[in-house]
Amino acid sequence: MEAKRYHPLTILFDLIIQVKHLSFPALILFVFNYDSTNAFITYGRIVFYIYVAGMLVYLLLKWISYKYRLDETAFHLYEGIFTKKKQTIPFTKIQNVNRHTTLLHRIFKVTSIRFETGMVGDDSTVEFAVISLNQADRLEAYTKQAVRSEKEPEAKGKEGDATSSGEIGTLYATPERIIHFTPMKKEIIKASFTSLSFLGMITLLVWAYFKLTEYIDVEEQVVGIYSLITSSWTFITLTAVGLLVLSIVFGMVTTYIRYGKYEISSDHERIYIAKGVIEETAFSIAKERVQAIKIKQSLLKRMLGLAEVKLTVVGGDSDSDKDKQDVSSLYPFLPVKRAYEMISEILPAYEVTEEMTSLPKKSLWVRLVRSSWIWIIGTGALSYFKPNIWGWEQAWWIISITLTLLILAYEVIEFYNTRYTLNDHFIQFQTGSLTTTLFVSKREKIIEVNVKRGLLQKQLGLASIKTVNRAKPVSHKGVTDVPLELAEGFSQWYMGRRKEIKVE
Amino acid sequence: MPSPISAPQKCLSKDAFKVQLITEAITVVIGLVVLAVLYYLDNRFAWKEWIGWGLHGLLVIGVIATIWSFVEPYFLYKSWRYDIDEDFLQMKFGVITERHFLVPMTKIQAVSTKQGPILRKYGLYTISIKTMGSSHEIPGLPGDVAAQLREQIAHYAKLKEVEE
Repeated sequence: MEAKRYHPLTILFDLIIQVKHLSFPALILFVFNYDSTNAFITYGRIVFYIYVAGMLVYLLLKWISYKYRLDETAFHLYEGIFTKKKQTIPFTKIQNVNRHTTLLHRIFKVTSIRFETGMVGDDSTVEFAVISLNQADRLEAYTKQAVRSEKEPEAKGKEGDATSSGEIGTLYATPERIIHFTPMKKEIIKASFTSLSFLGMITLLVWAYFKLTEYIDVEEQVVGIYSLITSSWTFITLTAVGLLVLSIVFGMVTTYIRYGKYEISSDHERIYIAKGVIEETAFSIAKERVQAIKIKQSLLKRMLGLAEVKLTVVGGDSDSDKDKQDVSSLYPFLPVKRAYEMISEILPAYEVTEEMTSLPKKSLWVRLVRSSWIWIIGTGALSYFKPNIWGWEQAWWIISITLTLLILAYEVIEFYNTRYTLNDHFIQFQTGSLTTTLFVSKREKIIEVNVKRGLLQKQLGLASIKTVNRAKPVSHKGVTDVPLELAEGFSQWYMGRRKEIKVE
Repeated sequence: MPSPISAPQKCLSKDAFKVQLITEAITVVIGLVVLAVLYYLDNRFAWKEWIGWGLHGLLVIGVIATIWSFVEPYFLYKSWRYDIDEDFLQMKFGVITERHFLVPMTKIQAVSTKQGPILRKYGLYTISIKTMGSSHEIPGLPGDVAAQLREQIAHYAKLKEVEE
């Protein structure tokens, strides 16, 4: 296959980013100071024109010189206008595929696609900022197919002919997909309450009020309206109900925009997550590349029986914006039972056991002692300074007692939430106080373990265990204060890894 | 239930703790010099009172740290154990807090030996090991042992696990 240029619309998309960046200096130079004769402004404008001209030339040259090529095994990227750079990224290194379709992409019926690898640094992803939907589908199918045929050499024989002919257009019949989850109305309503998005209305109102006061003097009207409302009970009730309805609707709309269109599906090789109403994001990952599963529950979610399932994956930058990072999350408001079912449907290789062992009593004491320095120091500082709050002299010891009780309560809750179990091939543990996280990983996916024993732990026969998984950044997860026998069993268990890994 | 595979046996060189001791001593001397300079400046320019208290505090901490830094190397050296086999590198050490690391050979990506001036005086090497997710060091091994260990780890690590 010949090296190809990227989609011509790339220039337009780059241009739009530039326009966004330049809009602020442009406003200063041409709008706020439109009749200025100040030398700074005059020279500023000249610099601006030169920059814009240079930028246009650069974008054009960039489009002309940046190219990509695919062969049977890898992406070849050609970059640089003056300094040329060639990069080869084998398909086998691709961990997951992300698609992000902004509103602008949708207008032009294109999308962007990122192939993320586990490598560190800027070159870790192959990104097509603008690409036609067809081409994106073809690339994704092609990379998938190439990896598959590499794994099964006998299959390569017949498929190899098709690929070596240079035509990647032929779509391979992919096994059928099963849709596991799309949210119903009921789920979105639940989600809108759980995420407290209806509170967003208040922030919006406050924000609008301050914006308004910048332009017009609304204070008098506000005072007028306020006295009108409080003049009769009918008005008070009406306003209250109106505000309530408005904020609930607001909450639902924002929730719908974020979580409304959500689809979790899988075929026997990959998991697909698609979401977004206005901006669409799609994520796909090979099942065997999932490093671990996390089930997260905040206090509110625990009360409502909801949970978020997250996949720990290697690809993907931690520094990219949150929205993109969140793609590895299956729906954040899954009913707990459904969440467990779905894990066994999507990842049959994983077993989530509901029965786990709790920590022994003595580990609670260790935890209480360990956290006690916070309230000891706090109390010490408070009794020294004896702050006088609202003219109240006793305030300091009340604060001190409250602090102590809060810390103790936090530790006790965490103690009861902490559980663990060690299966044949799996480790599973739940930690956390207010927000709990259940972590499940396979032995072969854990890249390192360590056991730690502090002074107090040694006395009481306890230890802390920790696992390390591939991710970006590397994920360290563990349980503190488990019985020593478990920690030893844990090392033994990990040693058992040698039996199951495949070596080349 | 200490079983043969879960307890690494090999120790560091006897000289390892001397190296550690010298390193610590140098650090202590530098720290004390800095502190002395600060005391002098405090006196000379009559800094605020709380700075003086801060310096006293530092001195107390410094003295305790100094004592500890002369005790710790010996016990740390005594506690250090490592071992390798075809599948795992094990390291276990720690005076107060004891740590036990289990690193699969297949996940080791780089292994090297290095030697600073003090190590060189005793003919010792430190082995540093980098994996996909972390880096480790085995400090103070005699030259021939270190070289052999490095080669052996490199050999075992060459077996590539099928990465899924």
